[in-house]
Amino acid sequence: MAAYATELPIRPDLDASHAEVARRWATSGAWWSGAERLAMVEEVRRARDGDQLAPWVSPSQIDGLIAEDHVLPSAAVDAIWRLTNHPGTLTAEWHASILSQGVNPEAYVELVGVVSQANAVDRFADALNLTRVDLPEPSFDEPPQLTNDSATVTSHWVPTVPIKGPNVVKALSAVPFEGDSMNLLLEAQYVKMGSLLGDLVSDQNSLTRMQVEVLAARTSKLNECFY
Amino acid sequence: MNQDTQVSFEAVDGSEAGDGGVEHGALLSRLCEAIFSGDADHLASVRDDVLEVAGADVLVDAVAVSANFYMMTRIADGTGTPLDAGSIEPSAEIRELVGVNNFTSRREAHL
Repeated sequence: MAAYATELPIRPDLDASHAEVARRWATSGAWWSGAERLAMVEEVRRARDGDQLAPWVSPSQIDGLIAEDHVLPSAAVDAIWRLTNHPGTLTAEWHASILSQGVNPEAYVELVGVVSQANAVDRFADALNLTRVDLPEPSFDEPPQLTNDSATVTSHWVPTVPIKGPNVVKALSAVPFEGDSMNLLLEAQYVKMGSLLGDLVSDQNSLTRMQVEVLAARTSKLNECFY
Repeated sequence: MNQDTQVSFEAVDGSEAGDGGVEHGALLSRLCEAIFSGDADHLASVRDDVLEVAGADVLVDAVAVSANFYMMTRIADGTGTPLDAGSIEPSAEIRELVGVNNFTSRREAHL
């Protein structure tokens, strides 16, 4: 089923990647259930659509903003809003404060994956004035919540597995399902993994590689991302 | 396009700075700024400009690339991803030129 109904020439592989990622959000992950993962996507939408909070204000501190019976713990909701609206302000101390509230380090990695994907997919729809992708019914399978024994904290704040590639590709490696979802979107919206550093000159769909890199770098700078 | 093309970082710095040797560079930069701003009217106006100048395929693909970096920036900044060790020295001049060294998110690999 197509993700978007529009006369705009959205490439089939791009449309299919968004439909597939939405399906993956609704499945049970390594640490969170399908219902919890969809709640993360809904919370990204609330964070983007509501009144903007200052970076240091947590939504859970504001009376009535977050339902008391929310399916996600307060620390997760606070992390989703901060990741969505103020990613350039994050620090190691902030990350440690989220974990200190009981969020498992690998569960946090999974949350970053889902939240980041939702930001990309919804931003695409919003920028083209399209209806955001429909969210499927969630899976009711329990997440296994098994620690990845090969993941350790080395170069990043989060545990990673020693895999080849740029550090940002390694970032979600403790939760391979989220790394795979990231690659799905990255290849449809940016460049194929093999061309990331291996082919810097070939055109990418209707854009030259230099146009692609201007878009990538300008957007990264607007988001105040040093990496 | 080939490897001999001369480009600069003007379009990365902002849409007022010029194309930087990249076809429609300033317009694409303006599209990124409109997407980031969230101002629906401004965004609709820039979308129309891209459609008129570059076409619908470019509009869709450009929005897709920009949107992708709402994912990548959050992954990098949410996980404390450091610069890749091999890119620290080669990118030093570029980082200075595009003005990112003062970002809170600055993290360099431990060498």
